[in-house]
Amino acid sequence: MRDPVRADDGREPSLGSADEHDTPAEVDAAFRTLRRVAIGHVAVFTCVIIAVPLLTAALGWWSQGRLSGGMSPMFAMTAFGLYAFFFVICLAAATLSNAVEERMLGGPAREAHHDEEGTLPP
Amino acid sequence: MSNGSLPLAGVVLLAWGAVYLVTQLITAPPLGTGTTVLIGAGLTTALIVGYPSALRGPRSKRSVQPASARVQQGRHGTTIAAVGRSMPLRSGLTAESAHRTAQLLQPLLSGAAVAITDREHVLAFAGPGADHHRSGDDVVAPTARALNRGKTVLVRRRGELRCPNGDCPLRTAVIVPLTDGNRTVGTLQVYRGDGALSPQGVVEGLAGILSLHLELAELNRRQRLAVDAKLDALRAQINPHFLFNTLNTIASKVHTDTEETRQLLVRLSDFFRYVVRQEGHFAEFGQEYFFVRTYVSLEQARYGDRVRVRYDIDPQVLTAHVPVLIIQPLVENAIKHGLAGKVEGGTVTLKARVDPLTRTTSIRVADDGAGIPADLLKRISDGERGEGDGQGLSNIAGRLASLYGERYRLDIQSTENGGTVVDLQIPLG
Amino acid sequence: MTSILLLVVLLAAVGSVAILIRPQRASTFEFYLAGRRVGVVTNACAICGDYFSAASFLGVAAAVYASGLDGMWYATGFAAGFVPVLLFIAAPLRRFGEFSIPDFLGRRLESNSVRLTSVAIVQLIILAYLVPQAVASGIIWELFIGQGVGGLSAYATGVLVSTAAIMLMVALGGMRGTTWTQAVQFLMLLAIFVWLAIIVVASGFNYPDALRELSSRPLANPVESGGTWRLEEVTNRLHPESPAYFGEPGGQYSQLGQFALILSLALGTAGLPHIMNRYFTSPTGTAARMTTVWVVGLAGLFYTLAVLLGTAARSVIRDVSAELPWLAELTTEGVLRVPEYALLVLGQVFGGRAGLGLIAVGALVAVLSTIAGLLLASAASWGHDIYERYINLHATQNQALWAGRAAVAVVAALSAGLALAVRPESLTGQFPSIVATMVTWAFALAGSALTPVFILAIWWRRTTGAGAVAGMVTGAVTAVTMCAAGVLMGDTPYAAVLMTPTVVSAPCAAVATVAVSLASRPPQDMDRIWVRMHGTAADRRAVRIARLTVAGIGRRSREGR
Repeated sequence: MRDPVRADDGREPSLGSADEHDTPAEVDAAFRTLRRVAIGHVAVFTCVIIAVPLLTAALGWWSQGRLSGGMSPMFAMTAFGLYAFFFVICLAAATLSNAVEERMLGGPAREAHHDEEGTLPP
Repeated sequence: MSNGSLPLAGVVLLAWGAVYLVTQLITAPPLGTGTTVLIGAGLTTALIVGYPSALRGPRSKRSVQPASARVQQGRHGTTIAAVGRSMPLRSGLTAESAHRTAQLLQPLLSGAAVAITDREHVLAFAGPGADHHRSGDDVVAPTARALNRGKTVLVRRRGELRCPNGDCPLRTAVIVPLTDGNRTVGTLQVYRGDGALSPQGVVEGLAGILSLHLELAELNRRQRLAVDAKLDALRAQINPHFLFNTLNTIASKVHTDTEETRQLLVRLSDFFRYVVRQEGHFAEFGQEYFFVRTYVSLEQARYGDRVRVRYDIDPQVLTAHVPVLIIQPLVENAIKHGLAGKVEGGTVTLKARVDPLTRTTSIRVADDGAGIPADLLKRISDGERGEGDGQGLSNIAGRLASLYGERYRLDIQSTENGGTVVDLQIPLG
Repeated sequence: MTSILLLVVLLAAVGSVAILIRPQRASTFEFYLAGRRVGVVTNACAICGDYFSAASFLGVAAAVYASGLDGMWYATGFAAGFVPVLLFIAAPLRRFGEFSIPDFLGRRLESNSVRLTSVAIVQLIILAYLVPQAVASGIIWELFIGQGVGGLSAYATGVLVSTAAIMLMVALGGMRGTTWTQAVQFLMLLAIFVWLAIIVVASGFNYPDALRELSSRPLANPVESGGTWRLEEVTNRLHPESPAYFGEPGGQYSQLGQFALILSLALGTAGLPHIMNRYFTSPTGTAARMTTVWVVGLAGLFYTLAVLLGTAARSVIRDVSAELPWLAELTTEGVLRVPEYALLVLGQVFGGRAGLGLIAVGALVAVLSTIAGLLLASAASWGHDIYERYINLHATQNQALWAGRAAVAVVAALSAGLALAVRPESLTGQFPSIVATMVTWAFALAGSALTPVFILAIWWRRTTGAGAVAGMVTGAVTAVTMCAAGVLMGDTPYAAVLMTPTVVSAPCAAVATVAVSLASRPPQDMDRIWVRMHGTAADRRAVRIARLTVAGIGRRSREGR
């Protein structure tokens, strides 16, 4: 009963591509969740980017006020605050996206289970 | 369930009021409209963003019996308030709980010593004579009488106590049995050294409170056992047909598609590993989702294009805690009863959302399959167990009820040939 | 003379690094992609090296110097550009894993016309980006060396020398060389900024106090009229009736102009070919994402310093211009006539000729690293997407490599020619910083033509090849037309908006893409494409193999002991 198809099936058992595999439905789900994450973060990003120059029109204090010496809140925001904000939002988005992908695609790591196999109830 | 939005609306309204008060009335020249609106908008945003986390409070490592915790509240304020409130016996009659109870009771009974025993040994002793009466000793002789008769025994003479230590200061005793509802499990003993008896009524009253606590503890334990048993049954009851069909599918593909066969075997082993290894009543949604995905991909191998699935998952829901083995049975029902009978197949949609404002996790499993006939639907919603129902909805509803009490909602809508929608709402944990 | 020596030594050092770690056996794969095994931080530094060109190194400080707060929008936009990259592009781009942008779009949309159109757009962007770099090297040469060679003007000599040096480096080094040199070069730039910032602060510069002093009188810049220079107050674009101040908005842009500029820069980064090519060298999609986080952090640090130095230059140069005769030649009442000189002058004020030399080297390094990245991207798209695919289907690796290198030569020569045609003096005064402004045009082109198509191709299943072509052409044509109109209109209120056209052209491109896509049929095998682009199976496999390898090595070394 040994046909030739099975003959070349003796590849390394743990590195075959079958061990890690995504189905289209799973990928589609992860994709839509990630898209939601991305759009949410872009919305926050856009709001802040627009708010910094726009606040000048609404609030005199924003560009006329003085925090320390001659530094207005707007100047401080443009000179340091925005960069910190970019970094924070990027870190948050990257962490969330990675966590989403980890939970929505693939399974828990399997290597750890092999040694425990013996302790399973018969 | 939307009990979170109303307070928020109130708070926002108050904030605007405060902003108006400060900027328009208190500040000497009132601030401009733009400034006021801006401050208000900022405050509102901060409130809306911060509200859910403020509502959630610090994340505690909550144990898993919210239902039982509810039952226990509201039983304070009996004769001796301190005892009623602290309830050291709620975890059952153990040496540790008995010790704490004895420490608690001893100061209330001036000059007396207090002992708590089970049916054979002293579990705790507090007060004069504690130097030679220790926990783990055999019970004094008259205890057996109290245990056997289930009634209070009064010991007036020192000789009856048969204490081997000649210097023992204890002379009289009141021994009251403790029950956990239907059987006596131990005694409460109050000794005195001045020759008088402790007031029998007080001691019996205390024993009554303790018995009530023990009864509650027993009730809790039994309830938990029942839920555990249900879950164990569910775990053991993975449909043999499912395994059978999957193995058949795999066997039929061995020769044509070795790669897919390997994938399916890996998924099958994932599926069973999850069932076997899962412990406790709750798991992260992400884990349950993995289980559902594994199950669906196995079914898809069998049904091919006839079973399509669409997941719609909120990023926040992935870390929420949900009861184990609830979602997969819902999906299984949708495939088995909804789609399998339809020639052209259909789509199962699993939608999971979190509402941080109302602290609710909502999960919806919908299919566009055969639907449930009206009479069967009525029987299911009445809680009867449908015969073709597999791991029926009544089972799921029962487990949810024991986990959440009244704080969950499970709705089923179905039209014949129009599909079924199962809506589940549980508290966010 | 010592400073020239220093400059030569430093350049020689950077060049020799490139030659020393040159791969011994050059294959096309290694030439373009450095074998795809580059660490997250190294890759982040290399991306920064590619990204921070003369526009960032000299241009941002120059723009802040010339128009204060409004000049800072450049830095904001450059740094913001990586946020959309991270959110929309980094991970899927890496996971789909091709050689270059045209390759990516061509395979994703399964269309040859998309590939050819995007090659054309990519070449256009690269050219638009190369010209300001060449201009910057000309400016540096003009100030630093001051004299031409062989009858050429100093400016022309600078342009030609830098172009020749770059062509040599790319031809010799390959990309593995440049990944490391890019990282090293970026660290050099950062070190120079940190050094300068430390010296400036140590010499008594106080940020808030300097701002108060600068904002105490209206902003005024030198203007040439009738052969003499005099200071003229800058008109406030937000409130024309009141003067503009250094620390307040209005010095350069109207409300709309600010948005248009930030949007142009923020969207442009995602379409820059030399930056996007770097993402293909990340080991996994997750690593590509984390690389971007690092880039954003490093860029934030870099631009914070750049803005600080621009402010410091405005304050310090004014204070010392009267005492230093060489400075008096460059300034009018304490304000530099060419704002690009700001950092160079600051270097000389605090570090003498050696300080000037260091800044000049930094600027040249910024120019060189960016040009190298651009030329490599250009070579990749010519050699890989055109030569191997259409001209010589059976090309050996060697032939493809040489085709790429020949393309480098042509593109570099072309950009040098354009840079020679542009006279920086003819354009200054019109813009806060000519180099930064010209780079904006490249960003606008990239953000209009490529970014919308990119985002749609990755996140919208229905995108088709025809739609992408329509989108790219619409975006490019709109952007170029508006830019040209802006240059021709000169100093009118709308010119600034016209020269940052992304705010109009990107939506146009997106609408065109969507409309044409809906009318045509998407590729057949969408599920397979989607699994490859958004699935993590390949990533997980790579991580597991890496883990097994590490475990195996660990076990073997334990047994060996």
